[in-house]
Amino acid sequence: MFGKILIANRGEIALRIQRACRELGIPTVAVHSTADASAMHVRLADESVCIGPPAARESYLNTAAILSAAIITGADAIHPGYGFLSENASFAEMVAAHGLTFIGPLPEHIRQMGDKIAAKAAMASLGVPLVPGSEGAVTDLDEARRVADRLGYPVLVKAAAGGGGRGMKRADAPDTLEEAWRVARAEALAAFGNDAVYLEKYLDRPRHIELQVLADRYGDVVHFGERDCSLQRRHQKLLEEAGSPALSPAARDALGEVVTSALSRLGYRNAGTLEFLYQDGKFAFIEMNTRLQVEHPVTEMVCDVDLVREQIRIAAGEPLGYDQSDISFSGHAIECRVTAEDPETFTPNAGRIEAYHAPGGLGVRVDSALYAGYRVPPFYDSMVAKLIVHARTRAEAINRLRRAIDEFAIVGIKTTLPLHRRIVDDPDFQAGNYTIHWLERFVGAG
Amino acid sequence: MTRFPFDPDSIRALADILVETGLTEIEVAEKDSRIRVVRQPVMTAPVHVAAAPPAAAPAAAAAGAQATAAAEEDLATHPGAVLSPMVGIVYLAPEPGAEPYVAVGRTVAAGQTLLLIEAMKTFNQIRAPRAGTVTRILAASGTPVEYGEPLMVID
Repeated sequence: MFGKILIANRGEIALRIQRACRELGIPTVAVHSTADASAMHVRLADESVCIGPPAARESYLNTAAILSAAIITGADAIHPGYGFLSENASFAEMVAAHGLTFIGPLPEHIRQMGDKIAAKAAMASLGVPLVPGSEGAVTDLDEARRVADRLGYPVLVKAAAGGGGRGMKRADAPDTLEEAWRVARAEALAAFGNDAVYLEKYLDRPRHIELQVLADRYGDVVHFGERDCSLQRRHQKLLEEAGSPALSPAARDALGEVVTSALSRLGYRNAGTLEFLYQDGKFAFIEMNTRLQVEHPVTEMVCDVDLVREQIRIAAGEPLGYDQSDISFSGHAIECRVTAEDPETFTPNAGRIEAYHAPGGLGVRVDSALYAGYRVPPFYDSMVAKLIVHARTRAEAINRLRRAIDEFAIVGIKTTLPLHRRIVDDPDFQAGNYTIHWLERFVGAG
Repeated sequence: MTRFPFDPDSIRALADILVETGLTEIEVAEKDSRIRVVRQPVMTAPVHVAAAPPAAAPAAAAAGAQATAAAEEDLATHPGAVLSPMVGIVYLAPEPGAEPYVAVGRTVAAGQTLLLIEAMKTFNQIRAPRAGTVTRILAASGTPVEYGEPLMVID
C-alpha cells in the first residue's frame, strides 16, 4: 500500500480523496494554489505544498509543479480527482516515468477514450452498441452529406477531441449541414487544437444513462449499476440519480454484462464510466470517462462502496476481492450539484461564506469543502457542494431531498439550492418523466 | 433566569494560563465550586503552508504558531522579498563545495543569480528582481520550497 498520496486537485473532490486516504491510514500531501491556501482539505492534509498562483494553468494544471511537489514530499502516488489532469494521458505517463503511481486507468486507455472517434471504434469492436454515426472521422463536406443522408436528419457534427457536451453542432436539414460542419470544425480547432469531427444521428428525447465500472489489474471487472444524469443545462449535469427511473434491474444487468465483458477484453484498469443515450428502450454509447466522476456518491450510497478507496486499492495492486454477484443495489439515491450561481440567471458569484449549516440525519450526505468564514475563490469551477440523499425508495428519497434542501443554509453567496427545491416539487421529476432536454425547458419556463 | 455564580475574571485568568503554558485543560475546585476551562487544540499547521489563520480557530490559539505564521507573512509581503516562483529544492551555491552565489550584506545587481531551484532534474537560476543588498537568506541549501515562499530579502 502507498506510503503517501498526493492529491492533485481542489475543492470537494480533494476533500473526498483526503477522507479516503485518512480512513486507509495513508498520509496525504495537498497541493494548492495561493487562492486555496485556506481550503478545508489543505487544513486536514498531513502536508501541503503551494504550487502556484490562482490560475489553473499555473497551478492545478502545472504538471512540473505537481510532480516537483510529489518528489520533495516523498509521495509515491498521485490521485488526480476529476477535471484538471485526471484525463491527461501525458501526465499519467510522466507520473509513472518518475516512479510514482497514477491512481487511475492506464495512459493508453485515457488517450484512447479521450479521442472520441477512437473510443467509438474501440467500443464498436467490443460489441457495445453505439449511436448511429459516421465510420470514424469525416474529412470533407461531401462525405458529411452522404453520411447525414444515410443517418437521416437531424444530425450532430461532433469534435473528436471534444467530450462532456462540448464541441457539438446540430444540423436539422441538408441546407443547414454546411454551416454546422464549418462552425463545428472551426470551434474544435480553437477549443481543442484539433478540427477532426465525426457525425452522429441526433436523438430527440434520450435519457443520459451511465454505468460505473471498476477493474483491477488481474482482469476482473465489475459494474456498480447505472446513474441517470439526464437533468442537464448546457450539457452540464445538475442532478443525478442511482438507479434510473427508466431502467429495470433486468435492463441494468444486461447492459452491465455487455460493458464488463467489453472492458475485460480491453484490459481496462481502475475506475471508469461509460455514458449512453437511452431512447426507445435502446442504449447508444457516446463516450467513456476514464476517471472518477462528480456524481460517484449516488452509486456509493446504493451499492455501499467507497469508490475512492477502491481506486487506491486497485492502484496499489490489490485484487478487487469480490465479483459481480457480491454487488447488490439497495434503495435509491439522488445528488444535487449546488453551484455558486444565481438560481435563475446562473450568473456565477464568489464571496465569503457568512454562515453555513449542512443538513444531516438519516440518509443525508453532503460532500463540500465549504465552511463558515471560507472565501469561495472566483478562479475555479462554481460547484460548491453536493447534496446526496439515500432512501429505500425513490419517493422517499425525493421527500428526504426536499427536507434536506430546506435545512441547508449557505449564507453569503447565491446558490442553485432554490432551483433544486423547485425541481423536487415538479410532477414530471417526481414521476421520473424526463429526458436530457427537460431541464432546459424547465428553467426556460421560469 | 437564575444567576449562575461564577467569576469571569477567574475564567479569563485560567484561559491565559492555558495559552502561556500550552496546556489544554485546567480545573480549579474549592469547596463546592469548580471551574474547568478547556482549550481545543488548533489543527497543526502542515509543512510549507502559507500563513493563513484557520477560520474556525478559537481565540486561545497557540501563540507560538501564530508568531511564526505572522513572521512569514510579514516577509512574504515585504517589498524586498524574493519569492519562489516554483516548487523545488533550493541550492545556494552553483555546486557542492563551491562558494554560495551571495551572502548577507552582499550587494547585487538586477538580474544577478541569487540561488538555484532544482525541479525535476532541471536547475533554474533565480535572479535578483532589482539591485540592492541581501539582508536575509531564508532558505537553506538542500531544502524544499513551495511557490510563493520567501527565499531572500533584498533591500
